[in-house]
Amino acid sequence: MSMPSIPSRAEHLEAWRESGGKVCAAFPAQYPKELLWAHGVLPVEVWDPPLAATRAPGHLQPYICSVVRQGLELLLAGAGDSVDLILFPHTCDSLQNLASLVGDYLKPAAPSLFFYNPKAPFKAPAREFYLDQLHALDRQLAGLFGPRAQGALEQALEWSRALAALHAKAYKMRALGELAAGAGEFYAVLRAGEYLHPTALIPLLEGWLAQSAGSASAGERIVLSGVLPGPPDLLESLDVLGLVVGNDDLLSMSRRLLTSPPGTGEPLAALGEVFLHMPPCSTRGSSLEERLAWIKGLAGQSKSKGVVFVEVKFCEPELFDLPELRRGLKEAGLPSLVLEVDVNQAAGGQAATRLEAFREMMA
Amino acid sequence: MSLSDKAKLQFMKDLGFPALASLQKAMRGKRAPRKANPDFGPPLKCTARLKEIMTRHYYLARFAPGAKPVAWVTSGAPVELLRALDFYTIYPENHGALCGAQKMGPELCQVAEDEGYSADLCSYARVDLGHMLSGKTPAGKLPKPDLLFCSNNICQTVAYWYKVMAHRLGVPLVMFDTPFNYTEISQDDIDYMVGQVKDMIPVLEKAAGKAFDMERFIQVAELSRAASELWGQCLETMKARPAPMTIFDAFVHLAPVVSLRGLPVAREYYEILLAELLDRARSGIGAITNEKKRLMWDNIAIWYKVRDFSELFASRGMNFVAATYTNAWAETIQHLDMSQPLESLAKTYSLVILNNNLEHRLNLMAKMVSEYAVDGLVVHSARSCKPYSLGQYDLKRLLSERLGIPAVVIEADITDYRYFSEEQALTRLEAFFEALEAA
Repeated sequence: MSMPSIPSRAEHLEAWRESGGKVCAAFPAQYPKELLWAHGVLPVEVWDPPLAATRAPGHLQPYICSVVRQGLELLLAGAGDSVDLILFPHTCDSLQNLASLVGDYLKPAAPSLFFYNPKAPFKAPAREFYLDQLHALDRQLAGLFGPRAQGALEQALEWSRALAALHAKAYKMRALGELAAGAGEFYAVLRAGEYLHPTALIPLLEGWLAQSAGSASAGERIVLSGVLPGPPDLLESLDVLGLVVGNDDLLSMSRRLLTSPPGTGEPLAALGEVFLHMPPCSTRGSSLEERLAWIKGLAGQSKSKGVVFVEVKFCEPELFDLPELRRGLKEAGLPSLVLEVDVNQAAGGQAATRLEAFREMMA
Repeated sequence: MSLSDKAKLQFMKDLGFPALASLQKAMRGKRAPRKANPDFGPPLKCTARLKEIMTRHYYLARFAPGAKPVAWVTSGAPVELLRALDFYTIYPENHGALCGAQKMGPELCQVAEDEGYSADLCSYARVDLGHMLSGKTPAGKLPKPDLLFCSNNICQTVAYWYKVMAHRLGVPLVMFDTPFNYTEISQDDIDYMVGQVKDMIPVLEKAAGKAFDMERFIQVAELSRAASELWGQCLETMKARPAPMTIFDAFVHLAPVVSLRGLPVAREYYEILLAELLDRARSGIGAITNEKKRLMWDNIAIWYKVRDFSELFASRGMNFVAATYTNAWAETIQHLDMSQPLESLAKTYSLVILNNNLEHRLNLMAKMVSEYAVDGLVVHSARSCKPYSLGQYDLKRLLSERLGIPAVVIEADITDYRYFSEEQALTRLEAFFEALEAA
């Protein structure tokens, strides 16, 4: 199968702006993108901009993770003045302080908004609070860009349901070995959702899934866990070494892409259900028991024999969970491997060597 | 709870610990007194009482299981809820500081790292996990908790850390989620926090085996308020010139307001400390003998360097008279209002420095510089503490520009001295001293 043609970030943004659309730089991880769409704002996610970090180190200590560093680098390189909005969801201490650093000290031209995600367990007060947060964000967006058009949120929820269904289909086909796409292709296509508007993303995914039905490559199947799929050379290594990603537990991917809003009820309440029903995640306060059961389930569904954790260096929420997850997986007969990466640097030959040894151990 | 365990704890309170304290006092009396350092004024008399209180707390802790429900608690959690249910509380962060001061940080961190915990994680957490895995502690023995109580008002790290402990120890974790104040606190935030408190009370009652009594809670909250206010007044005595204590003293005398807040002993302790400090201020007795420059500290202490830094700065005639860290247990207590107990509890705990935006911190520090007549700022960039440290480079720049005072950043860690370079720190400090002396 050949890789579909995906508009680049720059091309898509240019076309979007030419049509009069607004742009929001959205920092990781979970936020109600449907609300932005409903206000005519395109969220463009900031996970791992490929920039040399030259300005950000003047503001951040070396022990701050590369997601935060690269995100700040992007803002300092001019994005902070060229977008219409910067949105910081509450994900971890570092992103929390980055939000305040940008909003209070660096003050780019674009306004900054903050969105607090309550932490599990999601009992009644958390549900009510999350809904309050959605209403507050809706008001803030209306203040910046005018009230949303009638029916716009309902339309956004429709897009969201369609996308969740397409993502779920892609994940199911991959888990069953019915998707003829390697890790590099799979994530290149799905990560287009970090900047494409649903009207462009939905047909892209539909076309790609229709084209890609077929047998997956043979190889040892694994679950990929961590924050992001990558760096790119690591995905290439997986494909070259015959390590087949059968499923993933990635913060930027399955932990947030597969949850669909319910088709009934008040639209903002339906949107609230998306966040509350996302899979277990280190950043949302999920217990280790939940996370372990979830990852074991992912391995079972995809007949994966092991788990590769690709962790961003200094990422506290992920690193705290690791030892107990690995211990639980080992007890379940699932070996695991940990690779620590910086998002803007190649994983390198050493990572490839370790992956190769891991594959041989699983075989 | 068993009657025999209760009787044992009571016996240790009434007879066991007093006997031990007498013995220790007698042994101390036999030791040759430490040679007085001419750079310092007379030591605080209260220090002996502080040592006794904290030793008693850790000593009796080992007899608490079975006699009282035991909780491990984060330093910023609303402990008044637990006190009202008669929990015996242990503060792993306070224990971490103790391990750091005793230079046990790297040893305990290594135990956690050998178990797979990254060396990039907070060293308080690694020390605590290392203690849990090895049983090693300078405090004798810590009791296993019946419950873990955590609030993310100081960091998200504690939520990750306590989650691991709950999993390993098989005990319930109660989490108090305090939305970060990116701007002002909102009524939605307060309602959310109050809702959580109402939800957690039955869980706490179950672990305690008794019913929550609002009257008792209000009594405890009043004690807590009194201790925090007194602590704030103790800190304010450092506005005097010369200041009657240093921040290095305050780092140590902070222990009761962190660990024993809501108990009568904390209030009583700060009453005597305040009296002594006021007396010293009136008499012109300084913590250091030649106070030429007054400094402010930002971030948690470098526990293994407290004494060395104390001596280094005193030898230059420099005294730390203010710190954002020590101030944290006093700065929000005015919000505690017993006519609205739960709402005001939520505000008190949510508005602490680390749950507040960086503009708040900048303004607070500028105010402290002015009120305490600060001449220079020392910023500890603590590898362990992201919410305290991320933003400090700009904070230092802005404060220096706004107030025209010299400032320096020291890269270090709170307990793990493997991440401290003495040479690099001294080089930076020498340049700082020069700038300060030239100012």
